Amino acid sequence: MTAVAEARIRRRVLPAPVTGQEFVLVGVIVALWAALAISTPAFLTAGSIQPLLVATAPVALVGVAMTIVIITGGIDVSVGGAIMVCSVLTAKALVGPEVSLGVAVLLSVAAGGLLGLVNGVLIAYGRVHAIIITFGTANLFMFLGLQIFGSGTVNGIPGTLAFFGRGPDGRTLGIPHAFLITLLITAAAWWYLRHTAGGRHFFAIGGDPQAARLAGVRVQRRVLLAYVLTGLLVGLASCFVIAQGTSTLDQSVGAGKELAVIAAVVIGGTSIMGGRGSVLGTLLGALLVQSVASGVTQLGWRSQLSDLFVGIFIIVAVGADLLRARARRNR
Amino acid sequence: MIDTNETPRLRLTAIAKRFGAVRAIQHADLIVRAGKVHALVGENGAGKSTMIKIVAGAETADTGEIEFEGERVRLGSTTAAIALGIATVYQEPQLFPELTVAENIFLGRELKRAGRVDWAAQNAKVVELLELLGLPERYATAEVGTLSVAEQQQVSIAKALASDATVLILDEPSAILTDAEIEVLFDVVRRLTAAGVAVVYISHRLDELFRIADEVTVMRDGRTIGTYPITELSVRQIAHLMVGEELSDARPHREVPEGPAVLELRGLSRAGKFRDVDVSVRAGEIVALYGLVGSGVSEIAACVYGIDRSTGGQLLIGADPVDIRSPGQAQRLGIALLPANRKVEGMFGFQSIAFNISAGHLGLLSRFGVWVDRAREKAVALKLIERLAVKTPHERQPISAMSGGNAQKVVLARQLVERPKVLVLAEPTQGVDVGAKEEIHRLITELAEEGTAVLVVTSDLPEALRIADRIQVVRGGTTTDEFGPDASQVDLLAAAAGGSE
Amino acid sequence: MTAATVQAPAESPAAKILRVLLTQRIALLAVLIVVVVVTFFVNDAGGYLTAPYDFDYMSASLINAIPLAMLGLAELLVILSGRGGIDLSVGAIVSLAGMVFGFAYGEWGWPLWLAILATAGFGALLGAVNGFLVSYIGFPALIATLATFYAYKSLAIVINNQQPISTKPIQELFSLSKSVELPLFGQYVPDVPLGIFTFLLPTVVAVWLLLARTSYGRRLYAIGTNDVAARWAGLPVRDTRFKAYVYAGLISGLVAVVTVGQFASARPDAGVSGNGMALPAITIAVLGGVAITGGIGRVAGVVLATLLIVWLNAGILLAFVGNEGSQYQLLALGAVLVFAALLNGLTNRKYGGSQ
Repeated sequence: MTAVAEARIRRRVLPAPVTGQEFVLVGVIVALWAALAISTPAFLTAGSIQPLLVATAPVALVGVAMTIVIITGGIDVSVGGAIMVCSVLTAKALVGPEVSLGVAVLLSVAAGGLLGLVNGVLIAYGRVHAIIITFGTANLFMFLGLQIFGSGTVNGIPGTLAFFGRGPDGRTLGIPHAFLITLLITAAAWWYLRHTAGGRHFFAIGGDPQAARLAGVRVQRRVLLAYVLTGLLVGLASCFVIAQGTSTLDQSVGAGKELAVIAAVVIGGTSIMGGRGSVLGTLLGALLVQSVASGVTQLGWRSQLSDLFVGIFIIVAVGADLLRARARRNR
Repeated sequence: MIDTNETPRLRLTAIAKRFGAVRAIQHADLIVRAGKVHALVGENGAGKSTMIKIVAGAETADTGEIEFEGERVRLGSTTAAIALGIATVYQEPQLFPELTVAENIFLGRELKRAGRVDWAAQNAKVVELLELLGLPERYATAEVGTLSVAEQQQVSIAKALASDATVLILDEPSAILTDAEIEVLFDVVRRLTAAGVAVVYISHRLDELFRIADEVTVMRDGRTIGTYPITELSVRQIAHLMVGEELSDARPHREVPEGPAVLELRGLSRAGKFRDVDVSVRAGEIVALYGLVGSGVSEIAACVYGIDRSTGGQLLIGADPVDIRSPGQAQRLGIALLPANRKVEGMFGFQSIAFNISAGHLGLLSRFGVWVDRAREKAVALKLIERLAVKTPHERQPISAMSGGNAQKVVLARQLVERPKVLVLAEPTQGVDVGAKEEIHRLITELAEEGTAVLVVTSDLPEALRIADRIQVVRGGTTTDEFGPDASQVDLLAAAAGGSE
Repeated sequence: MTAATVQAPAESPAAKILRVLLTQRIALLAVLIVVVVVTFFVNDAGGYLTAPYDFDYMSASLINAIPLAMLGLAELLVILSGRGGIDLSVGAIVSLAGMVFGFAYGEWGWPLWLAILATAGFGALLGAVNGFLVSYIGFPALIATLATFYAYKSLAIVINNQQPISTKPIQELFSLSKSVELPLFGQYVPDVPLGIFTFLLPTVVAVWLLLARTSYGRRLYAIGTNDVAARWAGLPVRDTRFKAYVYAGLISGLVAVVTVGQFASARPDAGVSGNGMALPAITIAVLGGVAITGGIGRVAGVVLATLLIVWLNAGILLAFVGNEGSQYQLLALGAVLVFAALLNGLTNRKYGGSQ
């Protein structure tokens, strides 16, 4: 083998760092932003983009973990309920004992991790389909959340979590901290999935769990980890959710978030059948969905119209993937 | 026969293995040498696959000794075998399509540096392996899903070698390959033996053994008949060793009524699978399409039944050319087909026998095509259960709870509900016990007597001889020679396995 | 293989009861219903409930069973069809079809029968979109129905500017939800919500006939059990799966009419507010013994699962004060579902499957 060839092989680390889907998404987002900038001059301003990024952060952050779960061939529809538990718990801690920022985050993350552990144990060791277990735990988590709520809302939440995004203290270089943190964690997850044996094993499990086990992959432990990770990130995302709102938290918190997260993951090019996916795509998917929502409002349309676009994006993104797969098979 | 001065890499002596009441291997010896290709041949059920499993550590022998490099060893598990350097490449590649070749090869035992996968080191090792196999280095970073079946097989071989294998078992590697791909495989095998690896090569295609094997061990009825240098044998001789003494099968000669063909294939082709297939079946006649696994014979059946579309040639029912697009259309034309893979293509697992029989005939068994006539369904099911001697307490028994032979009879019963004009049977007795096999063969003859045109697609040589009035041999994706019912097993095997010298 | 028949070892009565309960979902559900009802009767007698839990109350609570059981049956149909069949969009179809019903009956003054027919047909059309994507294009059902969930939900809200339709004819529909005395022996048994007879029972009977008596039902079970074998048996796999989604949409359209009647208003978020209607419907189906992998599931299981949950919920409402009641209903639903799922796993390992 020539030295040149060897160098080429060494350099071409695998897999390709970004997939086609990600380029397409970047293109769509750029086009969308450009269109919005032309039609509503207020769009491309800090006052419009910053809230957009803050709103994207929780969905994208939970999406990172959901991507990993879906890569393993699972799914977690309980994240909405889990967000409710973590945010009400944290909000109450902020109101009552007036805990500091660090304690609040730790509390939220720990609570989320615990909920994720429940899912993970049931799915990895109970040998039951993930969608059914998480449908069940979704109800349990909502019960737990409502119990902690007690009465209708939590009022008078202090601005401790403003660090994550509200106001000038919540930004560095104009970028809201919630989004910065999401970026960092997405990058870390991207690196982990690409460069570590543990990360690659998630893909193998999604491809064929039986064969992965035979190859020496600790399947149950990996699956457990995926759900615990989801819980941990749900905990952090819950802090973003509280930081996003005013001083009040009501019982609708978290409702429907599981579908929003799954939508972002799917639009990002991750295969619901497992074995293939990208956290980068998920981040872009979440950003696209939020951009549409923001654009629809700024254009003065009914805000709920953005859901129609989400539906269309899902069909187009997955449909394109299906057609590509069909073309590959026929080749 | 062969001089045995050097210590063989692997020696199996007096191996025996039984599964329940079935003696899979009665007495087998095998000696595998470093740097040699050792072919293991035998008919279906001769015990080859059990032998491989014992060597690979997937099954443990009941009695007998195994020596590796002269040392007595126990192969209690696949990991034990791999640790010794015995690697197996099965027909179905067990690979992850979304991962790259390098990742597949190192999955579960990644090379790491500072907590992360050392891609460079892995790739370098993989490139080395690929070089040894004479394969392009671009494979290393290609996703397995983007490779062809043949390339995936080469990856499987590379994966086996990555664990420093000194014995490599190739289980019918050529069955899924085209001629050009087989050349690449042979090239790989030659490189390996040159590097000192001992290769055990299992194949049905006897002609290719003369190009690749050094020695041949023949198995028959759970015994190793003998080991010979390939140079001392011809295809005919190997075929003779495989089938043994010809039993004078006291099969009464059937009178097939004269008449026009009911089913005729004229130069039927499907790109990449088979080409120019000519065969015709008259009413009341049983014709066997006999070919080895991978000869294209099973794809022909799928095409006749509209599962796959043909890309050339003609299919005639009666005298009319037809273009069959779906199994439903085939049924309406009076064709019924017993699929080859019972579990996947035939059975509705946890549903009842009656359900399994009536599926596909719901129009016939319904009033106005809407309401299932359950009394009639039950009557039909009971009649067929009786006719096929299905052993079951009642027709509501789930088919998944039945033995292979009984389940096969139920799936066959489904094909008989509407008295087809043409009955195509793909591997009708695969995985079926001896008793049920006899009964199925008797039934096939009965159906022909009643005027059905029967086409049996089989890779089971004695079966073809026992039931067919004419045997059409398929080799390399096309029909070659035709034999009458008096042909010898050796003739047929030699014709199908190549080299009719 | 061996031809010897294996004699099943003798089974103790306790082991037999356990096996029947684990493998016969109907038996398990029936026992659980009895346990729930008896528990609340005892609590009632002990004076622990805020209002009497009696047959009248149980009968009145059946009003909640109508949409739940009907959508459970819709999920039964699509989950049976196999290949990961599921329909997340049923709630959104209820919302959107409900608005269509609101327009047709409340605004345009169509006759009631025609409005109901049109709504059911519209629901079927929405289901056909799902079926087309899943069966003919090859979308995973979860994805296709997630997308249409968003789309239908959005359209339902946008179509009338977020406003509910509660014109006079719609308000008068509330009479559909009242309880009626049964003829002949009506004075001896509690009054029953009218919707049970006008919507639920016809749907139950229709779906039961469809699944248990028609050739379509056979085909549906066949493709759900093994769609490769179904193809080799000459069955129209795509067409059969497509229709399952159409029927699910049609049932959702009927539920839309029921829901409009119950609310006396066509609300744009009727089927998607809070947790929506799809989640409970899937839960009911799974609890009723429908295998998420397809091919297994019966109407009776779904109906019994609905009764169990409805009567359990009704009792919980009386056992807790105020909001607590509805919260404990979530707990009960979640716990029962996880329990049922783990039980399925256990049954599969121990007995190789349930019916």
